Amino acid sequence: MANYFNTLPLREQLAELAKCRFMNSSEFADGVEALKGKKMVVIGCGAQGLNQGLNLRDSGLDVSYALRPEAIAQKRQSWKNATENGFVVGTYEELIPTADVVLNLTPDKQHTAVVKAVMPLMKEGACLSYSHGFNIVEEGMKIRDDLTVIMVAPKCPGSEVRAEYVRGFGVPTLIAVHEDNDPKGEGLALAKAYAVGTGGHKAGVLMSSFIAEVKSDLMGEQTILCGMLQTGSILCFDKMVEEGIDPGYASRLIQYGWETITEALKYGGVTNMLDRLSNPAKIKAFDLSEELKVIMRPLYNKHQDDIIDGTFSRVMMEDWANDDANLLKWRAETAETNFEKTPAGDVEISEQEFFDNGILMVAMVKAGVELAFETMTAAGIVAESAYYESLHETPLIANTIARKKLYEMNATISDTAEYGCYLYNHACVPLLADFMKGIKTDVIGKGLSVEDTGVDNKRLIEVNTALRSHPVEAVGAVLRGHMADMKKIV
Amino acid sequence: MGSIIRLENLCVNFDDRFNLHNIEWTIEPNQHWVITGTNGAGKSALAAVLAGVGDIENGTVTGLPNNVGLVSFEAQAELIAKELKKDDADIMDVISLGTPVYEMIFDNCQDPELAHSLVEKFGLSKLLDRAFRKLSTGETRKVMLIRALSSKPDLLILDEPFDGLDVDTLAMLQAHLASIIETTPMVMVLNRFDEMPDFISHVAYVDQGKLTLTVDKKDDNAFNELYQLLHLKTTDLSVPEADPANKLPALDPSQPLVKLNQATIKYGDTVIVDKLDWTIQQGQHWQLSGPNGSGKTCVLSLITGDHPQCYTNDIFVFGFQRGNGESIWQIKQFIGYVSTALQWEYRVSTSCKNVIISGFYDSIGMYTKSTDNQKKIADQWLALLGMKDRADQPFNKLSYGDQRLLLIARAMVKHPPLLILDEPCLGLDDMNRQLVLALIEKICQGSETTVLYVNHHAEDKIEGIENYLGLKKN
Repeated sequence: MANYFNTLPLREQLAELAKCRFMNSSEFADGVEALKGKKMVVIGCGAQGLNQGLNLRDSGLDVSYALRPEAIAQKRQSWKNATENGFVVGTYEELIPTADVVLNLTPDKQHTAVVKAVMPLMKEGACLSYSHGFNIVEEGMKIRDDLTVIMVAPKCPGSEVRAEYVRGFGVPTLIAVHEDNDPKGEGLALAKAYAVGTGGHKAGVLMSSFIAEVKSDLMGEQTILCGMLQTGSILCFDKMVEEGIDPGYASRLIQYGWETITEALKYGGVTNMLDRLSNPAKIKAFDLSEELKVIMRPLYNKHQDDIIDGTFSRVMMEDWANDDANLLKWRAETAETNFEKTPAGDVEISEQEFFDNGILMVAMVKAGVELAFETMTAAGIVAESAYYESLHETPLIANTIARKKLYEMNATISDTAEYGCYLYNHACVPLLADFMKGIKTDVIGKGLSVEDTGVDNKRLIEVNTALRSHPVEAVGAVLRGHMADMKKIV
Repeated sequence: MGSIIRLENLCVNFDDRFNLHNIEWTIEPNQHWVITGTNGAGKSALAAVLAGVGDIENGTVTGLPNNVGLVSFEAQAELIAKELKKDDADIMDVISLGTPVYEMIFDNCQDPELAHSLVEKFGLSKLLDRAFRKLSTGETRKVMLIRALSSKPDLLILDEPFDGLDVDTLAMLQAHLASIIETTPMVMVLNRFDEMPDFISHVAYVDQGKLTLTVDKKDDNAFNELYQLLHLKTTDLSVPEADPANKLPALDPSQPLVKLNQATIKYGDTVIVDKLDWTIQQGQHWQLSGPNGSGKTCVLSLITGDHPQCYTNDIFVFGFQRGNGESIWQIKQFIGYVSTALQWEYRVSTSCKNVIISGFYDSIGMYTKSTDNQKKIADQWLALLGMKDRADQPFNKLSYGDQRLLLIARAMVKHPPLLILDEPCLGLDDMNRQLVLALIEKICQGSETTVLYVNHHAEDKIEGIENYLGLKKN
């Protein structure tokens, strides 16, 4: 199998990368009609598989689960998940031949094996659905010509996909049709009905392409989402301890700080996150982030370049073939970092204090979001995609750190994201070594100790204008506007 | 001021017309009380006990002063009846004029000077020579007030003293009462909270002949809750109408709302619900009870569609045989649902008004724009709950009890054919429990909703529920 993206002429590569459109809610007027009465068979019953299946069934659709014989025989967790929730469970041989739509919701790494096993069993003219396009785009999996291939990717963890549905809402969802596999021209109708079935249409649906999804998803998760938060956690913690801050306090400030400051990001973008700081602190954070952007830009460019030309996926797949040697080594190293090993102290930190004492963290989030967004859009990915894969998902990842630090984050995200995260971290920690030498507790740990909170008017106006006129803020305002009336769950 | 008045385990019979039960009440010197409650709850009876009315059947009253001044409709009626009797008793063929007002006020008067000034202030100067029984009701009431006030009482009991007074007189009386608070402890019966004078320090709430609550006015929360309770109990407002624009699909009246056939829920080998048959007909209110772990909530969630195993059971609800392509929202539209779990899940920063409106959409939080009519109906509900002024306050800043009330309104806003109340009083204190029950009773009175009520507190009974299903722990 060859990298599919690299087989396309540049013209088509650019066209595919640029595909992304925020769909109008009137486009979902047909509801789940296109899937009514069809047999949907889900492969994999983990968090995404189970929760999407629960939603689809509650939307009136026929859902069952195909598991490997050993998972059934040994009554593994996936089997328990499916049967205790009252789903029909069977082997691939039993269920796949009856399926009108097969939903491949297994981890990325298993895609090749799963699709190879499933494809011969699928009936003529059926539909194969993915929630991530890595297998098609990077691994170059070729799907039988008579099969329709679509992607429906809720942009949240599986538990949230379910929780939002139960509340009467949904999570933002990306859909795409693989143009090479749309023999009956029904791919879009099926993908839309699927998005309605999971509740995604209520929160906003992006019509994208397999290529745009893969190239932006990989970029976001490696850099700002996971990589930046991991690197930032490690650097900020070590700096605070070095400067004599109580380790328990430092651990708490970081573990819960990302979540708190990115909550402000979720509500009002980078602008609102910085507006939570005092004027002098805001200017400080802005200056730091400008500095960080200059230092880190080559790294972001390298990640994006390696993703676009397939270097990243090739190297990672070599590691897969090598029994995950690098992944496992890096995972073990992460567990040994001081931040990871120091439990959060039993101290009270108020919501505002996370901002006031975490100026550097705010600067890192700003720099990471803007760099990821700028790099993606420079590579031909449209702003909407870039927004979702950078700013939108940052709070979701920050929540996982609040739950159980880096361990939880890396356990929750895909192996692909985890691999990319370590890759970023290994390059970024040394890259910021000099920068960190100049950092003191005024920007991480204690807050500014200025007597006078006055600032220069001219400088403040410059900073505010720069914040507000960044392109990620413009597209963010529009996309958040679509969710404004509804997304009020805290 | 005097000594502590104590009513202990007191049961009083009022000519077999009314009984007070097991009253425990302590009135300390310097306290001024208001007794409140609904009509017929026993407010006046409790006040009258302090004036020595009624036959004590059990318990004790200690510390009552000798000189108690009492103004009430009952005392007023009694006095007038006495006057009329005097007339009847006169066997001579002379027209009796009865006792003149002057005598009524000044005979045995302890403080003639005060009496004179009050006569003037009440505008009775020109009526002093008139026969008491010739006065209007309002005028006899004023005479009674003057008599009581000028008797230098050690305890003053005023049952609805402000009823029927014009604005000026009312202000004058309130000012006078305020001027004697240092010397005269007072107990008032008031129906309307807004008439409560500032100097009142404590409130007693009476329900069905029992003193169920006493509240220190300084306790703002308790005081507000009492206000709401009284508002719910006494307001004439009825349950707001449904929104014609959100009309539910019609149900076949010959079909049951719910039919569970051999319903079974199990996790692995653990059976939670075993072969349960249950049919709920339209208009048939049910109470479901059983110990913890007996599967009450599980059974409910089979009906609401929240339990995944509803797809593996034989369940008929609202015209749908489950598992035939219906969506969960087609089921939920017929159900109003309230539970502690819902309250935990309803962690939103949205306004109180939006919480009510979200009931139209069966959603937690609001994800669509509400219509003007929906907003209007939500306002009517807020008025019913006595929470009009809190329409725009964030829901998550409300007290636990107020949240529960709002969620009940949310459940009812669309007038669902089935209202499920899963332990609606769980976690609520006494006051809030009464509030919730008062609201539910109000709902049961004026609507076509079938109520399914889950609880295990016998005292939280609701009028009108006649069918019981008891679950046992498996």
